[in-house]
Amino acid sequence: MAILTTGFVLSSFNQSSVKAQDHSKKGIVGEHTPGYNLLETVGDVLDPISFNSAEKAIIDPMHYLREFNYGRVSTLSDGVVLREFTLIASDNKVKEISPGIFYNVWTFNGTIPGPTLRATEGDLIRINFINNGSKFHSIHTHGIHKAEMDGVFEGIAPGGKFTYEFIAQPFGVFPYHCHMQPLEEHISHGLYGVYIVDPKTPRPPADEMVMVMNGYDTDFDTENNFYTVNGIPYYYMEHPIQIEQDRLVRVYLVNMLEFDPINNFHLHANMYQLYRSGTNLVPDEYTDMVTMSQGERGILEFKYKFPGQYMFHAHKTEFAEKGWMGLFFVKDSKAPQSNSDDVNDNNTTTSIVYSQNRSKFNLEEVSK
Amino acid sequence: MEKEERSIYRHISGKKLIAFAIIPFVVLTAMILFLFSPIGQSFLNSGVPMPEVTIEKIEFQEGRIVAFIRNTGPVDITIAQADINDRIHLAAIEPSRSLPRLTEAQVIIPFPWNPAEPYEVGITTSDGVRFSKNVEAAAQVLTPNVEQVLLFAIIGAYVGIIPIMIGLLWYPFIRRLNTNKYNFFLSLTAGLLVLLGIDAVLESNEIISENVAAIFNGQVLIVMVVIVSFLVLLYASETLTQRAAKKSVSANYSTSSLSSSASTTSQQQQELIKPLAISLMIAIGIGLHNFGEGLAISAAVLLGKAALGTFLIVGFTLHNTTEGLAIVAPIAKSGKVMIRKLIVMGFIAGAPTIAGAWIGGFLYSPLAAVIFLSVGAGAIFQVVYSITSWISHTSSRNRKSLINASTIAGFAIGMLIMYTTGLLI
Repeated sequence: MAILTTGFVLSSFNQSSVKAQDHSKKGIVGEHTPGYNLLETVGDVLDPISFNSAEKAIIDPMHYLREFNYGRVSTLSDGVVLREFTLIASDNKVKEISPGIFYNVWTFNGTIPGPTLRATEGDLIRINFINNGSKFHSIHTHGIHKAEMDGVFEGIAPGGKFTYEFIAQPFGVFPYHCHMQPLEEHISHGLYGVYIVDPKTPRPPADEMVMVMNGYDTDFDTENNFYTVNGIPYYYMEHPIQIEQDRLVRVYLVNMLEFDPINNFHLHANMYQLYRSGTNLVPDEYTDMVTMSQGERGILEFKYKFPGQYMFHAHKTEFAEKGWMGLFFVKDSKAPQSNSDDVNDNNTTTSIVYSQNRSKFNLEEVSK
Repeated sequence: MEKEERSIYRHISGKKLIAFAIIPFVVLTAMILFLFSPIGQSFLNSGVPMPEVTIEKIEFQEGRIVAFIRNTGPVDITIAQADINDRIHLAAIEPSRSLPRLTEAQVIIPFPWNPAEPYEVGITTSDGVRFSKNVEAAAQVLTPNVEQVLLFAIIGAYVGIIPIMIGLLWYPFIRRLNTNKYNFFLSLTAGLLVLLGIDAVLESNEIISENVAAIFNGQVLIVMVVIVSFLVLLYASETLTQRAAKKSVSANYSTSSLSSSASTTSQQQQELIKPLAISLMIAIGIGLHNFGEGLAISAAVLLGKAALGTFLIVGFTLHNTTEGLAIVAPIAKSGKVMIRKLIVMGFIAGAPTIAGAWIGGFLYSPLAAVIFLSVGAGAIFQVVYSITSWISHTSSRNRKSLINASTIAGFAIGMLIMYTTGLLI
């Protein structure tokens, strides 16, 4: 995997530099792996990584990553905290799920995955559900609740509304998804999201993020054509997730992948504490590799000792090579301090300088 | 009656005649315009048009794989991504990612492929539908350099020219046979050729179904080309024979003073020219067929079937020796010894193998291959027709039926020989 990593790093930088220098469609095609031929084309580049514009994309994975929705908060007379959420289902939109690939997405609040709902154990959750779709939909939340709040037998008709109400219990990380038949169809089209319940005594502070592993079967042959983490294949390869050296990172990881029996998460050059389902405060395992079937989830906690670029991906390499891979960019804490915005800029600058060198090298190779 | 009809049509002026010819086209155009108009579209728009991409050819170049694709569906499409063995890869597409109906493009995928390994190339359109094609064994695409050109020429000569020349060596043997045995060999030739023609049609069908999109109506194309080439060559050979006969007759008139002797000479000439024309047509038909063989051989070399190559060449060599026999048979009994003409016909039949090998090796196109093979099949069937009529001609001269033990046995054994030598390929 190491070779692949370097290759993708180089390629992702190279890509952005090519784009920065030349916005026209003509370009140079490099490849993922060192040793691949480079070629100059007078035609178009079929680039599976870079979007021409993010407008039609199904989601902004960088925004989604650290976006937690705590709902409209109020306190009831008995002291219970009420959190109100609104989820709107739709099933008629066509969105770009991978560069150049347009797919009929079914969504909660317009994105795949839907918004991350977050509460503390014991809170009262109220989800106002509106079905704006053309088919019956529902919300089935994992966790402990009454039968009528389970979203299985009460399908909400097109144009209909329903209010789900339940106590957030137990603490952990859960998926929510539509539970209408055919279930496979409703899930594979994108009707799912993450619901997190924090323990009453919060977990230690950390750089927290959500990762949903999924796939898209764009040609309806019950095999996924694309695999992603957070909705868009390869996204974090081109936009590495910036984290800090020695700072605790907590990933709420959920596997919603349809069709394939398993999926997994492998972290490079590091190990993580794994809390299966997030329902315990004591880790189950210290590992760099967790395998999950559909609906399985967990919390991953780790720190990076050394700065640099580190890959994370499905160690089912087929999934990795169809989009399920990403990068952490660990910032050097010993580097000259500046405010956080500048740190971002610095990194960008570094990568562009690097990529310019790289692209010169490419151009030389091409001219040979 | 005839006179009346003629008088009626004489009243119609030239302008009116043109108008009558044009009116159906005007009506047709109006109808098509209506169907494409919003009103026409509104009641025709039922069902979803499915996009379709055909990968016509895959080339393995140095460090890259190139797929030649064509939009063979009913709608314009945009190509979004490419993959190898179902793993997504960065690629270039030339001239453009947007493909209007029936247009083509090259998808160039940098990839360090390994020789002799199977590969699948996939193309995904903007609506997420994936089209793919498999290659059994990757082999570097050939670039025409002196070495390659020579190699294919040598293979072509080995397979095409030499065995046919060997077959021609039967000439003295067949000359000395009696009519029965001679007819046996003519029928044997017909049998050989029938199987060869059927083989060419089946081969075309195989290429069509594997490589050419359904939109080209491949099977119908084969049938059409076979029939048209049969008819054209039939017409050509008849004209050739008649013209040659006339020429010889007029030549005889000028040299001979006695009309009776002239008619007998022309009769003899006829006996000479007819078989010569048949042999020439056989040579041309076999030539077209061998062009197809040349394509097949270089395609086999291209596909990396290196081990098969030698066996293939041995097979074709044996197989093609019988083709020499086919050329020799019709003229064997025609009195004159025509060594030089035989050699020329040997070249006509054999040399196209070299051209086929070059074209197959350097600019292979499945559609062109199918057309050549089908023309070859049509030519062969025409030759079979000529031989059959020639046998019936010689039989009737000897007051015998076309259907007799020696012709039937010859025909059957001919097919058997072709089948058996074909097994070697």
